[in-house]
Amino acid sequence: MTDTGDQVKKPLHPAAASSQPFQVADIRPVERLFDDEEGRDRLEKVLSRYPEKRAALLPMLGYAQERNGWVSDQSMEEVAAALDLTPAYVRSVATFYTMYNKHPVGRHLIQVCTCISCHLDEAEEVFERFLSETGTRAGEISEDGKFTVIEAECLGACGFATAVQVNDRYFENVSPDQVPAILDELD
Amino acid sequence: MGYPYSHDLETVTLLSRHFGDEKARTLAGWKELGGYASLPKALEMEPGEITEVVKNSGLRGRGGAGFPTGVKWSFMPQEPTGPHYLCCNADESEPGAFKDREILRWVPHLLIEGCLIAARAIRAEHVYIYVRGEFFPFSAILRDSVVEAYEGGYVGEDILGSGWNCDVTVHLGAGAYIAGEETGLMSSLMGGRAEPWIKPPFPAQSGAFGRPSTVNNVETLAAVPMIVAEGADWYRQWGTEKSPGTKLWCCSGHLERPGTYELPMGVNLRDVIYEVCGGAPNGRKIKAVIPGGSSTAMLTADELDCSGCYEGMAAAGSSLGTASPIVMNEDTNIVQAMRRIAQFYAHESCGQCVQCREGTSWTARILHRIEEGEGTVADLDTLYHLCEQMTGRTICPLADSVVFPLLSSLDKFRDEYEALIKR
Amino acid sequence: MSDVANHITLTIDGVEVSVEAGTTLLHAAEHAGVVVPHYCYHPGIPSRPAQCRMCLVEIEGQPKLQPSCVFPAGEGMVVHTTSETAETARKSVIEFLLLNHPLDCPICDAAGQCMLQDYAFETGQLRSRYAEAKMVLGRDRVAEDILYFGDRCIVCTRCVRFMEDIAGDNALVVAQRGYKAYIDTFPGKDLDHAFRGNIVDVCPVGALVHEDFVFKARAWDMDSAPGICPGCSTGCNIEINVKENQVVRTKPRLNPDVNSYWMCDHGRRSLVMANRGVRAEAPMVRQQGELEPASWNEALTWVSERLGDSSGLALVSAGVSNETLFYARALLESLGIRGGTFQVEQGEEVTLTGFPKLKLRAERAPNAAGAGLHEFRRSDGLPEVPDGATLVVVGDALAGAPAGYGANAGFFLYIGSHLVPAAHNATAILPAATVPETDGTFVNYEGRVQRFHRALRAPGVARPAWMFLSRLLEHLDAGIGVREIEDAFSAMSEGTPGMEGMTWAGLGLRGELLSEAGQPAVAAE
Repeated sequence: MTDTGDQVKKPLHPAAASSQPFQVADIRPVERLFDDEEGRDRLEKVLSRYPEKRAALLPMLGYAQERNGWVSDQSMEEVAAALDLTPAYVRSVATFYTMYNKHPVGRHLIQVCTCISCHLDEAEEVFERFLSETGTRAGEISEDGKFTVIEAECLGACGFATAVQVNDRYFENVSPDQVPAILDELD
Repeated sequence: MGYPYSHDLETVTLLSRHFGDEKARTLAGWKELGGYASLPKALEMEPGEITEVVKNSGLRGRGGAGFPTGVKWSFMPQEPTGPHYLCCNADESEPGAFKDREILRWVPHLLIEGCLIAARAIRAEHVYIYVRGEFFPFSAILRDSVVEAYEGGYVGEDILGSGWNCDVTVHLGAGAYIAGEETGLMSSLMGGRAEPWIKPPFPAQSGAFGRPSTVNNVETLAAVPMIVAEGADWYRQWGTEKSPGTKLWCCSGHLERPGTYELPMGVNLRDVIYEVCGGAPNGRKIKAVIPGGSSTAMLTADELDCSGCYEGMAAAGSSLGTASPIVMNEDTNIVQAMRRIAQFYAHESCGQCVQCREGTSWTARILHRIEEGEGTVADLDTLYHLCEQMTGRTICPLADSVVFPLLSSLDKFRDEYEALIKR
Repeated sequence: MSDVANHITLTIDGVEVSVEAGTTLLHAAEHAGVVVPHYCYHPGIPSRPAQCRMCLVEIEGQPKLQPSCVFPAGEGMVVHTTSETAETARKSVIEFLLLNHPLDCPICDAAGQCMLQDYAFETGQLRSRYAEAKMVLGRDRVAEDILYFGDRCIVCTRCVRFMEDIAGDNALVVAQRGYKAYIDTFPGKDLDHAFRGNIVDVCPVGALVHEDFVFKARAWDMDSAPGICPGCSTGCNIEINVKENQVVRTKPRLNPDVNSYWMCDHGRRSLVMANRGVRAEAPMVRQQGELEPASWNEALTWVSERLGDSSGLALVSAGVSNETLFYARALLESLGIRGGTFQVEQGEEVTLTGFPKLKLRAERAPNAAGAGLHEFRRSDGLPEVPDGATLVVVGDALAGAPAGYGANAGFFLYIGSHLVPAAHNATAILPAATVPETDGTFVNYEGRVQRFHRALRAPGVARPAWMFLSRLLEHLDAGIGVREIEDAFSAMSEGTPGMEGMTWAGLGLRGELLSEAGQPAVAAE
């Protein structure tokens, strides 16, 4: 199996403000987004890249999930207020996209691709193995709060089946036997 | 050249020369390898000149539709009355396709250079690179490269002292295949649901933020620097008359050597499957191939002798799409494979058009029931009926995309369906 | 060939039509007498997503069917809206929409007035081959008075776009995507916009229903009459739906100059209590200190014998018709009573931003302008009744008056519909029909004279006030009695500035503006 590593922290360039990773290994209680310097800085930098405020919506929903692990009603209302949108509209957009978690998830969100190419390579067995090793049912948080396992649609790693995404990392060429080792690596 | 394997077939390394070389993704390393050599030349050219070169090269969109790129650029207004935008489509979500991610993670600066030149051609001064949200590792590399490029004076104000400005923003999606459709992408970019809109208005009239815009695929834009540097005729030495140049083939499924391979347009599909990828592993025979990513018609093992280019694959009754063959061996349950494919489309439908919203879900449910042995002969008629009703009726071709593999599987593997049908 | 610059000639279903450049095929088809079935398109909502795919038509020479709601007519086009290809496509849309539909017509308010039913019958798509379990969404509340039945919803997004484009409040949205898509608000933020009720009207099916109408009446059990909303001075054109002589629903009626396709929720509620309450059902005269019922002839004779010259005052209502006010003025003149006042409740103004001409206006009465035309003046509060004076009250002017009001009058003539406490002090009560029980006209804020029509039967022997006032004048040798609204209107329009030449028939169902001479004496806005 292969995986890709972490990035070193640098001051945030505005061109990069809309593409920060938002599936992260750290769940904290739901924080307010724009009451501190970090949130305001992010908002300002993102807004600077687009001619319309509304275009900052996906980056800001991503930011909410970056900070809190999921997108709560509270976050949606905050983002709506910051971008002059209605909360209902923000909700409409947030529920359209697969990656915004509408409920808290485990510290490690494990997404197993079961789409056609990975399906041809025993992806369902990989998925079942993750479920049994973590002792969860699909979408549940494990008792120790560490894991949530779900199926994903094509992750764009078809030649390296089976592909598994854990937060912002890709694990490729995963076979069922490798599942315990992957889980051991996740703290 | 391919990644992660090499092969003996004609080696072409226009895009893929540095796949696997981590040095290529840093600005310093890239420059050492001769990168950003086309940009200075493009900065000396008029927008119309750049468009002309690309038009003459015959480069066609690599996102699946194959529309001539230079022609698409020529639709943009010659005299801007306000901002123009270039959107780079890095939303690669088609099942079977995994080529754009290779460009993002191995040669991000090549893409950036291509974006800049294309932006100049269409008189845009802002490029949005829309990357699918899931691609964190690859978008991170791209993102850092964009920042490096800013710091090196290749992006931003007064690029390389030319007086021309162009910004690049890397923008993440959040999980929606339909954001790969050009108007769906722009809807999403503007902060909305990725819902395609009815054309007209066309993007070149009114696209991102209501301004004239062009959406191009990653692989398309990555080809632009070399075309500008070496000329249209040079590019045409590979490929066919109607499909010039090279293509990144992403091969997956039951193969000895799955991966991404750069090959000239017009390569024989059989050769790709057997020579390059080694055929199916463990001595198994191949039963079927979906040649262009899941949205293309299935071919049987006997039908693989066809030319891997836009016109060749169309003549073979399928289409080139993104050149992403999904190979299924003789042990594959075609009905089950088709069910999984239909499930994908049902999950990804944006929900606007009735035929797609209801039809894709219905298709998946029928296939699931047949797979479970609860199907009837009437269900097969219903599937044919659905193929007819979902074709050519919708705002975007997502509904048509499930019909291509479905109809071909019904025609060519009818026996597999019938074997599962209750008597 | 088109000979008028920027006009286009094309053929639709064999009929040649000529339309302006830029006209859509759907509108062009109307010129050919063809209504192309549609859902998501609504003539009053500017956005056109073309997503229901119901309006697809065949254009000769084009490989694909095109959505006629957005596709522009082209010179020389030959269009078929009912060709086999177009009809097959239309049928399949119905089939798809009915897949997960609960088919609960027996308990759905929309039955009989449902575009899904209508087109299912029209296309003949009546059988389903769906063999899967249907998805169930259930019922949700989107406003304190509006329910959403997700299973019936066809996701045409008319409601979402009404709220966004017309109401200017993006509070109703599509949640989720694909086959899971449904309509919703933000949790805890139900719709509370003053014009939200229109989402029920635009819904082509029974997905959105008014909670105060749900299960009340079937479409075929209702009678209806065109009316004018009495809620404020805008005078929205309405349709009053009646079952068993009760108003069960009020809907807006199209008038491009007044209210477009819309009305406000205050107006919807304003007729709910119509013809209820304690009504004056028979003429009453005070004999030996007690109010006794009398026949019309007896009552009119009795009153005409006792009404004389004396100082007096008059109170009218800004909610009664011009005809009533005209005859009231005539009566007062014959009695030598000058002046006369009315009160109007004021409220908060709310503009419908997508059609700004339409507001719930501050003046909460339909005919203050008419009252002004007939020389009545506004007042704040009820005037004091001098001892022994003649008091003439026309209309619902004493609803909030103290019980003893008018007890000290010399002659208190109460011409009204409801027996409010103060009415019991009257010397004579002449029972009037309410606005929905009579025909008549109002003048709205901008001086538009509009007709309203009888929707209900008045109780007992209550009659339109204009009718018996004209007869009372006859008894007083001061006028001619009329029985028909056309005659009442003519009598009035002759004598009222700004209405010269107007006839009841001529007003039609869209109304007419007063001429210069009649511009409202009372403030227009």
